[in-house]
Amino acid sequence: MIAYLTTLLVLVAVSALVGLALNLQWGVAGLVNFGVVGFVALGAYATAVLSPPLGWFAGMVAAAALCAVASTALALLSIRLEENYLAIVTIGFGEAVRILLLNETWLTGGALGIADIPRPFVSLVSPARYDVVLLCFSLALVAIVFTVLEMLIRSPFGRVLRAVRDDATVAAALGKPVLMLRIKAFAIGGAVMGVAGALHAFYLTYIDPSQFTSIITAYAFMAVIAGGRGSNVGLLFGAGTIMALLEATRFLKDAVEMIDGTQLAALRLGLIGLGIVLLLLLRPQGLFSEPRRRVRDFFPNDGGPN
Amino acid sequence: MVAQLILDGLVTGLLLALPALALTLTFAILHFPNFAIGAMLTLGSYAAWIANSLLGIPLAMAAVLAALAMAVVAMLCDFLVFARLRDRGSMTLLVASMGVSLILENVCRFSFGNSTRNFAIEVARPIRWHGLRINHEQLITAVTVVACVILMQMLLHASPLGRAMRAVADNPSLAAVRGVERQTVSSITWCLAGVLSALSGVLAGMDRAVDPLLGWNYQIPIFAAAILGGLGSPTGAIVGALVIGLAEELSSLVLPTNYRQIVSFAVILMLLLVRSQGLFGGKAVRK
Repeated sequence: MIAYLTTLLVLVAVSALVGLALNLQWGVAGLVNFGVVGFVALGAYATAVLSPPLGWFAGMVAAAALCAVASTALALLSIRLEENYLAIVTIGFGEAVRILLLNETWLTGGALGIADIPRPFVSLVSPARYDVVLLCFSLALVAIVFTVLEMLIRSPFGRVLRAVRDDATVAAALGKPVLMLRIKAFAIGGAVMGVAGALHAFYLTYIDPSQFTSIITAYAFMAVIAGGRGSNVGLLFGAGTIMALLEATRFLKDAVEMIDGTQLAALRLGLIGLGIVLLLLLRPQGLFSEPRRRVRDFFPNDGGPN
Repeated sequence: MVAQLILDGLVTGLLLALPALALTLTFAILHFPNFAIGAMLTLGSYAAWIANSLLGIPLAMAAVLAALAMAVVAMLCDFLVFARLRDRGSMTLLVASMGVSLILENVCRFSFGNSTRNFAIEVARPIRWHGLRINHEQLITAVTVVACVILMQMLLHASPLGRAMRAVADNPSLAAVRGVERQTVSSITWCLAGVLSALSGVLAGMDRAVDPLLGWNYQIPIFAAAILGGLGSPTGAIVGALVIGLAEELSSLVLPTNYRQIVSFAVILMLLLVRSQGLFGGKAVRK
C-alpha cells in the first residue's frame, strides 16, 4: 500500500509539474500548447541520454535547457500569428518528436527505449527505502517549481503576461514587447515540462516511446481547466483530484468484468475529454478562479489611488 | 516510378481534400480550427463499417448512411458545445474541440477496441495503364472527391445558401441585419462538415483500414492542406490538399518512409516562415 501511494504521489508530482508549466503558457500567457507530450518526451530522453555521462543533475538541467530551446524555436516561428497556428504547430511538434524517437534508433533505442537511467541520491540509502527518497525529491521539485512560478506570476513579468493574454493590442500600445514576453513564457513553460520529463525518467529508470501518449497533454489541459486558469494553487489541487479520479477507474476494471485494458484506457481518455468540455461549458473559471490582484497586493506601502 | 508517385500523390491529396474542405468551411464561419476533424473522420469510418460489415449493407449505401449519421453528430456537437462557447473566443473553442475529439475517438475505441477493421469489399486486381498501377480504391476516391468538390463549389458559389455562408463568414452582424441567421448557417455548415468528414473516413478506411487512430494520422496533413490553401478558402483547401499529397508521396524519393508523416509538419513550418497567409488566404492573419 505504501509503495502504491508513493507511486501515485510521484505520478501526481510529474503531472503537477506538467500542469504548472501549461498553466504558465496557457493559463497566464494565453498560449495553447497541444504538444505538451512532445516536450515531456524530449525532456525524458535528454535526461536518459545525458545522465549516464554527465550525472543526473546536469542531465536534468540539460533536458530543461533543450526543451527551452525547442520551445523558443517553435514560438519564434508561430507566435506572431493567431493562437490557432501555435496550437497546430505544437501538435505537429509532438508528432515529430514521437516519430524521431521511434526512428533514430542509434540515439533513442527506437521502440525498445532506454533502460538503466541513473537516479538521484541513489548512494544515500538502501534500495529498499529508495522510494521515500524519490518521493521527497519529487515533492521538493514540485515545491521549488511552484515557488518560482508563483513568484514569476506575481512579479511585473506575470502582470504584463496577463495583460498580453487579455488584450495584446493594448499591451503593445503601452509599449510592452508582446512577442518577447510570449516567447519567454513559452520557453519557461517548456523548460518545466523538460524537468517533468526528467522526473518521469528518474522514476521509471526505463523509457520508451509508448509511455508518451496524448493522455499526458489531455491530462495537463484538464488539470489547468479544473484548477482554474492562472491559479497555481488550483492547479495542484486539480492535478491531485483528477489523478485520484483516474486511478479510481483502475478499480472499475476489477468491479466490472466486461471491461478490458483497452476499454479502460479509452474510458479514461474519453472522460478527460468530457471533463474538459463540461468544465468549459459549466465552470470556465475552474474550481479556484485566478486570484484578482489589486494595486495594494503589489505595493503594500503605497497609499495608492485609495 | 516518378509518374506512379505523382499519381499516388494526387489521389492521396484528393483524399485529404474533403476533410480540409470541412476544416476550412467551419473555420471561415466560426473562426476557430476544429481539432475534432480527425476524430469526426474516424467516427464516420466506423459508422460506415458498422453499416457495411455488421449489417451487410453495400459500401456505397453504407457511406451515405455514415454521411447522414455524421451530419447529425456534427450538428449535435455544434448544438451542445460549440454554439454555447461561440462568444468566448477562438481559444476556448479550439480547446473544446480537442475535448470533443477525445470523446469521439474514445467512443470508437471503447466500442470496438484498437484492432483494425476492413470493409467487406472484394479485392480487385489493379488496372495497368501505360505502366502505371491504378487501384480500384484510387479510382473510387478520385471520382467521389471530384464529384463532392464540384457539388461543394456549386453550393458555395451559385446558391443562396453559399451566399448566406459567405455573408456570415464576412460579417455576422451585418448578415443578421439582412435576415441571415447565424445559427442556421452554422448548423448547415456543421452538417456539411459532418458529411465531408464521413465520406473521407470511408475513403481513408478503404485506403488503409478502420482503426481508432485513422483520423488522427490524417490530422496534421489536413491542417497543413488547409493552412497551405489559406484557412477559410475552400478552393485553397483543395489545391493545398493536392500539394500536400504530392509532397508526401514524392518525399519517399529523398526521405525514408518512416519520416513521411513529418513532411506535412515541415510544410506548415516552411509556410509560417515564408507566406503565413497561405496560397489563397486574402486576409493577413498577423496580429
